[in-house]
Amino acid sequence: MSPLAFMAEGEKAEIISLRPRLEGGGKCPDCMEHLKDMGLRPGKQIEMLTNSGGGPLLLKVDESRIALGRGMAMKIYVRRESL
Amino acid sequence: MKPGAGIQYAEDRDSKKSNETITLAVAGNPNAGKSTLINSIAGTRLQVGNWPGVTVEKKTAFFEHDGRKIKLVDLPGTYSLSPYTQEEIIARDYLVNEKPDVIVNVVDATNLERNLYLTLQLAELEIPLVLALNIYDEAEAKGYRFDLEALSSMLGVAVIPTTATKREGVKALMTAALAAADSPRQSIPKPITYGDDIERAADAVVGGLSAEIPEALEQYPPRWLALKLMESDSTVLERLGMPADSRIVADAVGHLRKAHGDDMEALLADARYAQAAGLTREVLKKPDIRKRDLTEKIDAVVLNRFFGIPIFLAAMWLMFKLTFDISKPFADWLGAMISGPFKRAAEALVSIMQAPAWIASLVSDGIIAGVGAVLVFVPVIFAMMFFITFLEGSGYMARAAFVMDRAMHAIGLHGKSFIPMLLGFGCNVPAIYATRMLENPKDKALTALLIPLTSCGARLPVYVVFIGTFFASQAATVLWSLYVMGIALAICVGMVFKRMIFRGDAPMFIMELPPYRMPTFRSLMIHTWEKGKHFLIKAGTCILAVSIIVWFLLNMPWGVENKKDSYLGQVGQVIAPALKPLGFGSWEAGSALLAGLVAKEIVVGTMGEIYVKKEEEGEKKEAPPIREELAGIVTSFGEAVKSAGMNVVSTVGIATISSDESEEKMAERMPLREELQKQFTPLSAYAFITFVLLYMPCAVVAIAMRQEFGTWKWYGIAFAYQIVLAWVVAFVIYQGGKLLGLGG
Ligand SMILES: Nc1nc2c(ncn2[C@@H]2O[C@H](COP(=O)(O)OP(=O)(O)O)[C@@H](O)[C@H]2O)c(=O)[nH]1
Ligand SMILES: [Mg+2]
Repeated sequence: MSPLAFMAEGEKAEIISLRPRLEGGGKCPDCMEHLKDMGLRPGKQIEMLTNSGGGPLLLKVDESRIALGRGMAMKIYVRRESL
Repeated sequence: MKPGAGIQYAEDRDSKKSNETITLAVAGNPNAGKSTLINSIAGTRLQVGNWPGVTVEKKTAFFEHDGRKIKLVDLPGTYSLSPYTQEEIIARDYLVNEKPDVIVNVVDATNLERNLYLTLQLAELEIPLVLALNIYDEAEAKGYRFDLEALSSMLGVAVIPTTATKREGVKALMTAALAAADSPRQSIPKPITYGDDIERAADAVVGGLSAEIPEALEQYPPRWLALKLMESDSTVLERLGMPADSRIVADAVGHLRKAHGDDMEALLADARYAQAAGLTREVLKKPDIRKRDLTEKIDAVVLNRFFGIPIFLAAMWLMFKLTFDISKPFADWLGAMISGPFKRAAEALVSIMQAPAWIASLVSDGIIAGVGAVLVFVPVIFAMMFFITFLEGSGYMARAAFVMDRAMHAIGLHGKSFIPMLLGFGCNVPAIYATRMLENPKDKALTALLIPLTSCGARLPVYVVFIGTFFASQAATVLWSLYVMGIALAICVGMVFKRMIFRGDAPMFIMELPPYRMPTFRSLMIHTWEKGKHFLIKAGTCILAVSIIVWFLLNMPWGVENKKDSYLGQVGQVIAPALKPLGFGSWEAGSALLAGLVAKEIVVGTMGEIYVKKEEEGEKKEAPPIREELAGIVTSFGEAVKSAGMNVVSTVGIATISSDESEEKMAERMPLREELQKQFTPLSAYAFITFVLLYMPCAVVAIAMRQEFGTWKWYGIAFAYQIVLAWVVAFVIYQGGKLLGLGG
């Protein structure tokens, strides 16, 4: 398991968990729930489209391209295919 | 509770009498094509308002179809009906409280699973529903094959494939929607079943509610209400005045909690999502091989870590250049029309009515000079709105936000804040309203404070006059420099504010990047018009009024000989010394800037009024006969179209704010330019337009800020910091330029 933010561009992975809001809390308590509504749910296959080491990441879930900040990407855990 | 038991609640739904208005609520994911569909059904009959209490746009249309009265409501785009975003709360409250006759659920056929997740939540509201399987053309092109009948029978509703952009399937959709309104009980979707455990718990909650708060069951669909209470939905609990740990719910879900853990909400959401996934598997066959689509190829370049920002800057430059190349000939034409035939006609009218001389002067020196000076820029403004609409509609706007996210972090905002700021280039007023897309109140306030630094369309008239007069050969570049300066200053100011007022961490960034699509001509036109018409309204009301007031202030005390001694001139003289170090310490500049406090384009209008020279009686040319006049209007418009086309074709040809006409003819048309040549140097002109860029938000923005935040505080702060900033920057430019020997 590794945080989403560590994936390389072009890499594929499966989402294991999104850290629930009880812990993530703070600034955007519902962000993780909102991401789930957008289709980023445990069990989904994702592909990292853009991850340039700084700034936001862009990933593909089904037919959607979702951009998200690095901070959140550290709180989402994935199973990487290559590891 | 068995699915279908909810029919009881829906029992009072009778079929509509033929003369009653049928309300259709259009719901769906963002970018599923709701607006396009509504435009293709209702055309320009859309009315734009706001949802009560919030400034989210509410679009409704009233029209007749097949002899039936129809009200169409465009709900905000949502991914779900959970209460995490303002859009979701609005959409849900509308559906639950207003109980529309039919929900038209617009579903993006290329992204079925996620869209059906919302559909399944809509299905629980016990409202008749028809499903528009939209963007069907793209789905087919991708090789997707749908089993429409299976989808329809599993959901229990009509499923109509549509391609909103080509208006395909729209008729069938309307027919299905009316049929659903006529036989509501047969059109209520089948709710999903969650399995015995959850169903039993829901039954128990409904039982508890009917014993303790039976009113709630009349107001809300019972099963939906029970499920929401089990999820501890904060909005519903609040509306019912129930505590989160109420006994009714706690008793019912006790054993569920033991078996599945505490997070009921996740349990139910997972169940819904699993159903959406299952449905999708059953009704959709995708081809095995997936091609890398165009969107991914473009994104690989546009979002590249090295090229992203340069590409964005280049795209902006191109936008400004095209804006000018296209609009310039039309602006010239309009200018010639206003100062020529139109003015002559107005003067003729006034003299026929034998009005006193001061009225004649009010009309031609006040109203026509003032409003005319602004109207000339309508083509520029519309062209700009057109390109902004294109950036939005094509999908690039969202990429700009992505690319700028890093820079925005430096000022404590994220890339999403960049979208309102980009919209600010069109007009700051909708940009202020667009800040509501930001979830966090701190982000909203900071973004709104920075928006006035993005140069809006109303400032263009000022730039164009000065650039045309002093920098004709580098027009696009000078103009671009102003916009970039606005952005750069926004970043600097943001950094300061972040440290002073808005301390804290950078906010979260979540955004979907839609696929690139070529916007249809029709939607470009509709949205360009919606954005641009505000300027026309402004010219007809606010600017007309201010032009008249300015004329009086320029001619009072009554009969004043020299405009310098008029009221406006006197105030201008008072301000002038403060502007002197900036290179434009004349009373004329002071007066114009003062009038521009209302709206910045008035600066030009006022200059037009101040500098306009009394024509000597003898000089007045005879008006040509009407027929010749009309012919002239038509042929000159034809020429304008031709040269606009030529300008676009010759991408090499530099933007031509200067024109190939003889100087004489120019001066005749533009007495203002001649005067400006005398009053300004290129350096002081640049300082002046910088000052206009920065010096304060206009009165309409003030009202927008007041509405959006419910207080004058933020406008006050914006006003204060901008005056200071404008003065300092203009000072640095002018004095710095002089030191560098750029002339004074
Ligand atoms: N190819 C195709 N594009 C569509 C269709 N319907 C909408 N679009 C495009 O999808 C984009 C989003 O549409 P819009 O109506 O703004 O979506 P909304 O967010 O649901 O209001 C626009 O670029 C439309 O031109 C369709 O049926 N086929
Ligand atoms: Mg829309």
